[in-house]
Amino acid sequence: MKKPFTPRVKRKFLGQYRPRSDGREKASGRALYADDMTLRRRFPDLLYARVLRSPHPHARILSIDASAAEAVPGVRCVLTCFDPEVRALRPTNAGWTDGVDTVSYETMMWRRFRDRRVLGDTAHWVGDEVGAVVAAESEAAAEEALRALKIRWQKLPFVLDPVAAMQPGAPTVHPEIAPNNILPEDPVGGPDVFLNKGDVDAAFAAAEVIVEADSVHHNPTQGGLDPWCCLCHFTDDGLTVWSNSYEADQTRMYLSQMLSLPLHRVRSVHEFVGGQFGSRDTGDQPFFLFTALLSRRTGRPVKFRYTRRECFHDSRQPAIYHAKAGAMRDGTITALEFSSLGDAGAYADHTMFALKFAPIEVAETAFAHIPNVRCRSLAVYTHRLPGCMMRGVGNSQFNFSMGLLWDKLAERLGMDPIDLVIKNFGHEHEGRPNRSLQAVLAAGAERIGWKDKRHPPGQGPEVGPDRRRGVGFSFHPAWHAEWQELRRGEIQVGLTLNPDGTVLLEAPTVETGTGSNMCNILGCAEALSFLGIQLEDIRFANRVDTATSLKDCVQTDSAVAYLQSEALVEAARRLKAEILSRASRKLSVAADRLDVRDGRVVFIDSSRPDAPLRQVLMQPDIVPISVRLSRPPAAERTGVPYIATFAEVEVDCGTGKVEVIRLAVVNDCGTVMFASGAEAQQVGGQCIGLGEALTEEIVYDRASGQPLNFNWIDYAIPTMADMPDIDPVLLEVWRGAGEYGACGIGEGTVTCAPRAILNAIYNAIGVRVDELPARPEKILRALGKA
Amino acid sequence: MASPRRAARRKASPRRTRPPRAAERAIVFSVNGVEVRRTLGRDAPAGMTLAEFLREELGLTGVKVACGQGACGACTVLLDGRAVLSCMMLLAQADGHAVTTIEGLPADDPVIAAFAEQCEPGHGTALQCGFCTPGFVMTAKALLAENPDPTLDEVREGLSGNLCRCGCYPGIAQAVLQAARRRREGGAK
Repeated sequence: MKKPFTPRVKRKFLGQYRPRSDGREKASGRALYADDMTLRRRFPDLLYARVLRSPHPHARILSIDASAAEAVPGVRCVLTCFDPEVRALRPTNAGWTDGVDTVSYETMMWRRFRDRRVLGDTAHWVGDEVGAVVAAESEAAAEEALRALKIRWQKLPFVLDPVAAMQPGAPTVHPEIAPNNILPEDPVGGPDVFLNKGDVDAAFAAAEVIVEADSVHHNPTQGGLDPWCCLCHFTDDGLTVWSNSYEADQTRMYLSQMLSLPLHRVRSVHEFVGGQFGSRDTGDQPFFLFTALLSRRTGRPVKFRYTRRECFHDSRQPAIYHAKAGAMRDGTITALEFSSLGDAGAYADHTMFALKFAPIEVAETAFAHIPNVRCRSLAVYTHRLPGCMMRGVGNSQFNFSMGLLWDKLAERLGMDPIDLVIKNFGHEHEGRPNRSLQAVLAAGAERIGWKDKRHPPGQGPEVGPDRRRGVGFSFHPAWHAEWQELRRGEIQVGLTLNPDGTVLLEAPTVETGTGSNMCNILGCAEALSFLGIQLEDIRFANRVDTATSLKDCVQTDSAVAYLQSEALVEAARRLKAEILSRASRKLSVAADRLDVRDGRVVFIDSSRPDAPLRQVLMQPDIVPISVRLSRPPAAERTGVPYIATFAEVEVDCGTGKVEVIRLAVVNDCGTVMFASGAEAQQVGGQCIGLGEALTEEIVYDRASGQPLNFNWIDYAIPTMADMPDIDPVLLEVWRGAGEYGACGIGEGTVTCAPRAILNAIYNAIGVRVDELPARPEKILRALGKA
Repeated sequence: MASPRRAARRKASPRRTRPPRAAERAIVFSVNGVEVRRTLGRDAPAGMTLAEFLREELGLTGVKVACGQGACGACTVLLDGRAVLSCMMLLAQADGHAVTTIEGLPADDPVIAAFAEQCEPGHGTALQCGFCTPGFVMTAKALLAENPDPTLDEVREGLSGNLCRCGCYPGIAQAVLQAARRRREGGAK
């Protein structure tokens, strides 16, 4: 029942279905990624780096004898944790920034948790990069050198389970920071009870109905296809880095601060990036540092790239949630309480962001009308893969908990959960019912056939032998509206009008696939409509190079799609003023008697005929007209729009296998900038959402601490044959700030899928599985069959 | 004992500066229509994969290596028209065959055009980050050569060896169906 989206306001360029600007380049294989930019053909004296990875979950290196490694043919440098330039590197945090703003060492986000040594002497999980790194003429030689290292390890006791890690006497991960493995309160994340509104205990005491819900979210991995890769080259000019990090300006700052180089001596170059999904944050950049040190030592360009196994070193933070709701019998929710235990793994990274910031944003918006709310979070270190940013950071875990709570509460109250949600949630700037929330849920319900297909849990018609179907949904307040992006700092853009009427657009951001560049081109064309230009008249460089580019807008919060476009609106106004001033001089007419419309200079209140702008500009002095500006996002508090995912599933009660039949993904976008790209985000997000709901899971051997499935055979990412029918629904109900009033949508498309699918499973079979992923054995266990 | 065919090739090789030693082996194959001659063990390590050779030696970066485990299809090339995973093939296995990478497709290839242009509402685009795209295009080329008029289910099955983490599967399926129509209308390419 797919229906194309129709824009609320018809515009010349925005809000339409059209091909991507980079489609041809990518489809023909001509687009260059980091590994392509750094082939030996381009750098004939290239060396390759490989780093030692700990085979032990917790161990200290007592000594390293590198003599045999250095003797391996082709080896040019072995750097160890005992070398002075390695030891001189300051401890850092894997989550240096919150991914949006450029910060210094002193102002890094998680200053309390500087728990990571670059190439340290102690391993905190199997796979930790420690001890030694080798530069050689080939990766094979570097690997052979690593095998030739004679290392004395002191194996130490380890703990994998977050609950066990909190017990007295448990092995500690970073005793200097967390003596009992529990991350201490810190100035950024705030106290453990980070939200406490009203009188929660009194409200629970007075509530007529109370339900509780427990859920466990695991650590799926981002799984971008493009393996991490960087090439560092020290020359007399300083350090140049080619990489597939998505943060150009921040990478420059990071390297400058950690290596004590002035900013103008660090150059960070980025072309296309093969998927991000939250990874490629500064958290992964310790390898930039030792690669740079190897280049400084050898005087040659040094390349370091991850194997696929190493690409698994990024993942979502697992979280165990306990949720509780108090309500009156008419469905009015009076009290909410959420307690979470996060597993930080070996390094704190953004764990506190995931545990605290996402619930705070939801509480600020969706829970604005709930009088009593309390949220408490603890995070613990374990000797496991560290969690980091992943698409929908924190929100996925929180949604998985709260979507269960609403489903259980509605069942207890005998209400349709859609009615319960609409009755209680909205945002602080609008009363209830909230129009955006209503529209999103109505659209989802219609597309999935909610009224016809929903039935009491487990009581649907059998659609085959022992096969039952069910429907479920989950909703979430979208993030981020422009006012939520203020922490990002200033957005920089530039416009240059050539004398022939063509345009050079500067809106630097590292293109990771989201379509934000296309949004910028469309936003630019729309703002420059007075020039009478077409898209092909705009030149836009995908490359970001800190030696020449403005500060890049970081690809997080799905917000680039509108942040730069809004700045371009202002740049276009200034450009127009510049054009009029120039035309005024050339034509000897006062600027306020001139206008530019549809590419022509118009004489106001004059019978003088229009002149093509190009003809005016081509008269001496012939120079391009440039405007560059830097401005913060709009602070106008516009609330937020809503998103929802509806799912229909079929469960085989004999095997426990779940098949998702259909997903309806609904986003209120405020304004749809680029309909084809927005749909691609909605449809595409389900590859991650479905995977983390049903199949994707990192498995450990508990006895040895070894992760067992860091490959794409045993870690099952959905293929085309696994995907259900997906109905992407774009709406424009809410209105954000600025000319276009859009909102980021990409991240949220992942957020609601797991809970929608698991609520649908409950509707189908009448028993719940609330630990992800919902693999067949868990379904069978819930059915009492295993 | 070298076969007469291989011996003849060696003789014809203009690159040969000395006869191959016992551990060496001369191979001849074509890449995008151009003949390539190498002596394994001398010009290239015997264990070199076809993917590595195409990327590193020939600079054909449309061949992507995402997993090196034969699990994702990003490195797909055509070997005598058949889709193969170049990360799972040794260079030696290309001997005597015709290899086609995405660089070898014509500029107006209907599959490339369909992937680039997909914007049929309801399905999203056929690519986002673009890293998996050349592999999908090459797999689709082989599929359409074998089955010029596939159903949606046949496309889904035929491309299920390729991963797209951006999740553009519905857009990709539309692009392949569209390419099939264009091929039939314009004469098969």
